[in-house]
Amino acid sequence: MTETHDHSHETNADSSEIRTAALEDLLVEKGIVDRSRIDSLVERFEHDLGPMIGARLVARAWRESDFQSRLISDADEVLRQENIRGAEIEHVEVKVNEPGIHNVVVCTLCSCYPWALLGLPPAWYKSPEYRARVVREPRKVLEEMGLSLEPDTEIRVWDSSSETRFLVLPEQPAGSEGLGLEDLAALVTRDSMIGVAKALNP
Amino acid sequence: MGGETHVNQSRRVHDLGGTLGWGRVPYDPQEEPFHEEWERRVFGMIFQVLPQTAVRPGEFRHTLERLAKDDYFAPDGYYGRWRSAMEVLLEEYGHFEPGELDGCLGVPPGTGAGYRVQSPVAVDENDLPPDSPTPVPEHRTVRRELDRTPYFQAGDRVVATGNKAGGHTRLPEYVQGVPGTVVKIHPAEVLPDSTAHGLGERPQHVVSVAYEARDLWGEEAEEKVVINVDLYENYLQLEAEAQ
Repeated sequence: MTETHDHSHETNADSSEIRTAALEDLLVEKGIVDRSRIDSLVERFEHDLGPMIGARLVARAWRESDFQSRLISDADEVLRQENIRGAEIEHVEVKVNEPGIHNVVVCTLCSCYPWALLGLPPAWYKSPEYRARVVREPRKVLEEMGLSLEPDTEIRVWDSSSETRFLVLPEQPAGSEGLGLEDLAALVTRDSMIGVAKALNP
Repeated sequence: MGGETHVNQSRRVHDLGGTLGWGRVPYDPQEEPFHEEWERRVFGMIFQVLPQTAVRPGEFRHTLERLAKDDYFAPDGYYGRWRSAMEVLLEEYGHFEPGELDGCLGVPPGTGAGYRVQSPVAVDENDLPPDSPTPVPEHRTVRRELDRTPYFQAGDRVVATGNKAGGHTRLPEYVQGVPGTVVKIHPAEVLPDSTAHGLGERPQHVVSVAYEARDLWGEEAEEKVVINVDLYENYLQLEAEAQ
């Protein structure tokens, strides 16, 4: 035990908080982990990364048809040009929603997700309920999550089973045509880029 | 959550696609990535622990997959699962003695996931495709440049056969044995079925295969649904040549 976290009076070894603190103390004591690096890693992933990166790409694709074509045909090249790099975007494919076609992304085997474009995934994306059901009954799952699709809309589910990561390009909401890039990006939610929601209305 | 009643018993714990009995997705549109401070600590630790333990592609995923069902579906969720896998790796790589963390917690040894984890199986190299070493890029990546052309092309009807090696794989069980259509070839990657077990890179083209929901789920399938799965080339055969 170290003096910083003395839990010897506790008996619940299964408590997440206590077990994590003890693990951290032991790792620091053994020189495997540096506490300040925990803080900086969390800071970077929680604040510097996030859906705003993907949202800016989507907003620009809405405004510039040439950019949209390049994003769809070779997202890796666009990300290189835009200097967007980082974890979990070894190969990115952008899937476009359009009238009659709706795309939605999952990882049934673990929780693969394009971190450098969307930040860290929410817990529901990693839940067994989502992972199990969205490949089997996507229309029902989306409906339960608040997204009702027309019966004749084709649903394309993308299971992230290799290192390819998917970003959904949602349909541009009506009435947003004249907006600038930042205002457009504000309509692009994380969940619209996973494919479980539509972009917000202006 | 308790996967016990939900998951097909023959399935491996993590292979959830299409399993029955699950309830509503715990959806919150405003959900933030972390709920508790300890989750942040686990996240920050894992990036320092993995470089000293599971450095091979697929190795950390396979550690998660080897967890006992109760640890995989533990109530403290995804980051609890990461912490359990981290404890396992620290013991397997000799950084911790078994039960050492219990000692720190002042409890008898035996509470950790390392006491319940499944050991890695011995994968027979003969069950993997032959290795064809390719230049390793300077930056860390799983992508490789293959000098052979892909076996398959868009439009081919293919079927994935099971992973005979029995270890880590990225072939979801729900598509095994079901015919699908190749829609695209992705860049080649090292084969996780091999790298996770330290058996070389054996890089493969990656094939995006589209499955009709009706072919996967039968009469109960929803209308107008296609499920696309990315499969390493060695998982696949042409439908006409299968059986």
